[in-house]
Amino acid sequence: MTPPVRTTLWRVLAIQAVTLGLLWLLQTRYAP
Amino acid sequence: MHWINWLVVAAYLTWLVVDGLRRSRGTSNLEGYFLAGRSLPWWAVGLSVMATQLSAVTLIGTTGQGATDGLKFVQFYFGLPIAMVILGVTLVPFLHGARVYTAYEYLERRFDAKTRSLTSLLFLLSRGMSCSTILAAPAVVFSAIFGWPLAWSVALIGVPTIAYTVLGGVRAVAWADVKQMVIVVAALVAMVIVLVVRLPMPVDDALRIAGAAGRLQVFDFSFDLTKTYTFWSGILGGTFLMLSYFGTDQSQVQRYLAAPTVDDARSSLLISAYWKIPLQALVLLVGVLVYLFFLFQPAPLLLNPQHDAQLRSREPATYASLQARYDTAITRRSTQATHLANTTDPMGRRAEALSFKWRQQDVDAVRTEALAAAGRVTGQPSRDVNYLIPRFVLDYLPLGLAGLFIAAVLGAAMSAISAELSSLSTATVIDFYRRWLRPEASDEHFLGVSRLATAVWGLFACVVATYAATLGSLIEVVNRFGSFFYGSILGVFLLAMIPRARALGAFVGLLAGMTAVGAVSFGAPTVSFLWHNVIGAVTVLVVGGVLSLGGAPTAPAPRH
Repeated sequence: MTPPVRTTLWRVLAIQAVTLGLLWLLQTRYAP
Repeated sequence: MHWINWLVVAAYLTWLVVDGLRRSRGTSNLEGYFLAGRSLPWWAVGLSVMATQLSAVTLIGTTGQGATDGLKFVQFYFGLPIAMVILGVTLVPFLHGARVYTAYEYLERRFDAKTRSLTSLLFLLSRGMSCSTILAAPAVVFSAIFGWPLAWSVALIGVPTIAYTVLGGVRAVAWADVKQMVIVVAALVAMVIVLVVRLPMPVDDALRIAGAAGRLQVFDFSFDLTKTYTFWSGILGGTFLMLSYFGTDQSQVQRYLAAPTVDDARSSLLISAYWKIPLQALVLLVGVLVYLFFLFQPAPLLLNPQHDAQLRSREPATYASLQARYDTAITRRSTQATHLANTTDPMGRRAEALSFKWRQQDVDAVRTEALAAAGRVTGQPSRDVNYLIPRFVLDYLPLGLAGLFIAAVLGAAMSAISAELSSLSTATVIDFYRRWLRPEASDEHFLGVSRLATAVWGLFACVVATYAATLGSLIEVVNRFGSFFYGSILGVFLLAMIPRARALGAFVGLLAGMTAVGAVSFGAPTVSFLWHNVIGAVTVLVVGGVLSLGGAPTAPAPRH
């Protein structure tokens, strides 16, 4: 069973936030 | 390449074909052949979805792009997770619940036969050509690197792919895809480890050099319609593109139609939603690391060995002069990189980074001249960036690992092609042969015709790929034509979910959407293609919606 849409959406957004956050850190630290 | 590397490649290809056929033994009906009896586990479907989207170009071209342009291409995928969530609650339940073989079959149930036939025909035209492109791209690189005739490379990739797709159908395709994803991730991780170990300085210093060269610039927040990769084009244009691709393209829809339930189909798409951006970042990061590696190792002036040899023999004076300038430029760049790494105070770093940027521009200028000279001598534009990773793999990766990477590239090409072949065959047989020519026939008859259709499409792809060099511009035209209707087809599917939408609105809306995208494409060619899908889908919704005004609600296909 897949979780309800809202849970899925939050989960997807959370993983993307972490990924984009890491990329953002990489950019700001090394390519200011 | 060393024979041990070839052994790795041969062992992988044999395993891929033999295991694919073993798993699909006993496929005796159409549903088994095209949809694996709707019985594949969700994770296998999910990996197959990812493998279908990941072709050899991703491993050769996108890594090369990482080396030359850095990480900014990852923005292209920012809309993908959003698209997957939207599809999970919209199109997936409709398509899966309708128990169809093709996405276009659903459009006949909802609208009429001509909308179904037109969308399916557009799919066949564009995918038929793109199939040969994804076969030609790695074949051309392999031929140049190993010095083979192009036909051999095409056969090396094409023949095993056609064999397991024709004989095993979707079940063989999906299980080959699962193996491919495992080997691709393994090869990429192994490359990152090797590259990091071989860096002549701490990772932190090396990344500072990559940053100074602009390779770690990810986000571009400018709202500029002429720029292809920006945060906004990725989020908005990318969402529409991914909705079109995963929601209406048979090569993807067929993957999740093979899942047993709607929940399984949704879960399979969520694998991409979670992992696609990290995977793409990893692919580009490999490119950035290869760029750093070649700062301290002499890279050839021209990476395509055939173009290098031709320029050297036909214009030796030009070549010698370019080579001398190139040697000076890369030596100065490498010295400057070391200066930058050794500088510790922030002000000094900023000045050294600026100097490094200029040294990089000097190298780029000589390479641009060399590429222009090679283009003049050979009469062909060289996609030189595609040769960077293969050169690194063959010249510097440890024994066995080079074989693993080549196997991964072959596997990536094969899984993308096999998914295309099986979807082309499905649309041909279900939307045309069974719909218009032989509605009543036995399952064995349709199974035979389907295998034949797969083989014919495979042969077509091989022939077009073999002549890819001469057909280059034709393929480009067809691919551009393909971008005209991608968003428009999405518009028709979105319209299908609106109860009041009618067949006339869908058909005329589709034509209007394609015309609008065509007009923008020719009238404002600087507008990035990522916006075409938005324009197409919105036009279909508006035109189709207006033409459907006043109609009685029609129930969309039932959900199960």
